[in-house]
Amino acid sequence: MAGINLSDRKETLFLEALGSPVIDMNNLRKLCSTGIVETCGIRTICWRLLLNCLPKQRTKWPEALEKQRCEYQQFLNEMIIEPGLKRCNAAPGLDDHPLNPNPTSEWNSYFKDNDILLQIDKDVRRLCPDIAFFQNATAYPCEPLVSPTSRLENLRKRVERSVLSSQNLTRKRLGISNLISSRKQASREYDTLEEGQEAHWEVVERILFIYAKLNPGTAYVQGMNEIIGPLYYTLASDPNLEWKEHAEADTFFCFTNLMGEIRDNFIKSLDKSGSGIEASMNRVLCLLRQVDPEVWLRLDSLAIKPQFYLFRWITLLLSQEFSLPDVIHIWDILFSDSRRFDFLIAVCSAMIILLRDEILTRDFSHNMKLLQNYPLRIDVNTIISKAKEIYHNLRN
Amino acid sequence: MVLVLVVGDIHIPYRASGLSPKFKKLLVPGKIQHILCTGNLCTRDSFDYLKTLASDVHVVRGDFDDNASYPEQKVVTVGQFRIGMCHGHQVCPWGDTESLAMLQRQLNVDILLFGHTHKFEAYEHDNHFYINPGSITGAFSPISSDVVPSFVLMDIQASTVVTYVYQLQGNDVKVERIEYQKA
Repeated sequence: MAGINLSDRKETLFLEALGSPVIDMNNLRKLCSTGIVETCGIRTICWRLLLNCLPKQRTKWPEALEKQRCEYQQFLNEMIIEPGLKRCNAAPGLDDHPLNPNPTSEWNSYFKDNDILLQIDKDVRRLCPDIAFFQNATAYPCEPLVSPTSRLENLRKRVERSVLSSQNLTRKRLGISNLISSRKQASREYDTLEEGQEAHWEVVERILFIYAKLNPGTAYVQGMNEIIGPLYYTLASDPNLEWKEHAEADTFFCFTNLMGEIRDNFIKSLDKSGSGIEASMNRVLCLLRQVDPEVWLRLDSLAIKPQFYLFRWITLLLSQEFSLPDVIHIWDILFSDSRRFDFLIAVCSAMIILLRDEILTRDFSHNMKLLQNYPLRIDVNTIISKAKEIYHNLRN
Repeated sequence: MVLVLVVGDIHIPYRASGLSPKFKKLLVPGKIQHILCTGNLCTRDSFDYLKTLASDVHVVRGDFDDNASYPEQKVVTVGQFRIGMCHGHQVCPWGDTESLAMLQRQLNVDILLFGHTHKFEAYEHDNHFYINPGSITGAFSPISSDVVPSFVLMDIQASTVVTYVYQLQGNDVKVERIEYQKA
């Protein structure tokens, strides 16, 4: 009973914090730093607030949301729908042709987009394979793309490679000729949904494609799919239908804001700079050396380089190390950090320190496996409380 | 939307040493989805080259092909279109409209692809579309004096085929566009 009362009380606290006309962000961060309650779609609103997708003043919410969603619709029109229609109705006598190597050619830019799309497509098809969610049809597909009367092709079909069904003509000695199917239809690698439906992964594909088109500097890098996966999952499984309907547009803006902060990890040329991935990995190791020099020394003498495990932990915000509910729980706390992603450094070192006994006694290969496949037996809450302990000791 | 490359009468190495560098620059992998070849590749190397452009390559047998296992005639289906392929040395007189129309009826196809004459042709006859991509290397032919190197690219969408013809005239690649609508 005590547990139920506690979560009830927490829910009330959240509802109060979100209910005030001007939201006190410091208070909200503090609430979120112990994890967000699962009920009433509180998490999706908190995430939007923490990722700066909603203003602090409640009265401005409808206006801000309307503006963002219109903007996303515009991007969609500009980048996917209009070019698609143009290709369908290309005027005869146009100079452009599909093999045009000229960079200003529309065909050429179409193929360049397809290159990015191919990358995205490969990765999103197998997004979070542990759960069925991404393979299921969404209740809010993009109408102009999926309606049966539309001539537009959706993004998935643009990069699908198929084998044509063919028949050979054979003539028997009697002079009877016959068409014989020469090849069996290649079995599909993935099951696709019926016409007029769209799976959740296709929605994610579209968001990533638009992001890549808007940010040609970073474009798409493998791993972004793992960042957007939990975001989209959370927003698209909102119990509040009004919010759920706009999950696509809102995810796009949450993702863009989040990427704004962790983008440097994805840019290869910045790897060695102050904000790049190598600097972040060094910060974890420095912290580890400070807190538990013995473990640090052990890892160092075994030559277990941070690239082997920390690289993935940091760039993907730990989304690959735990099961999805745990990832979402950790993200609640990561997002609530006012000096964002300093806390991630503490979490990473806590994760290493919690394996201390094994690391100190076992050999290279065992430790390597341990760090790359983080053991499930260690509870997420244990990690978080350890990380908080380190984090607070450090700041005092 | 599907892009289908139509080539034929390559004749490497017997009558031509290779493809024009101008054509090679245009033909890059990643754009074309399917290749339909009207035959006379002659050696395996030409087939391997086509394979580098697209993984789905369909070939019919010409009178100079080393590989005897290619079929004489073939029918492939792209979206709403049935496309028939035949090298054309079997159709007498060579390149004759009426004789080809007979083959078209026999195979029951919307579009018939043929070659052998080394001369580009694309025309509608009785609501059906006929394409001869010509010779991509511009190889010698006993029946035409000056051969212009050419190939064809079909952009197939729903019930429309937009055909792009690439011809090497002098040192320039000329591109023409022909549209065919299924009745």
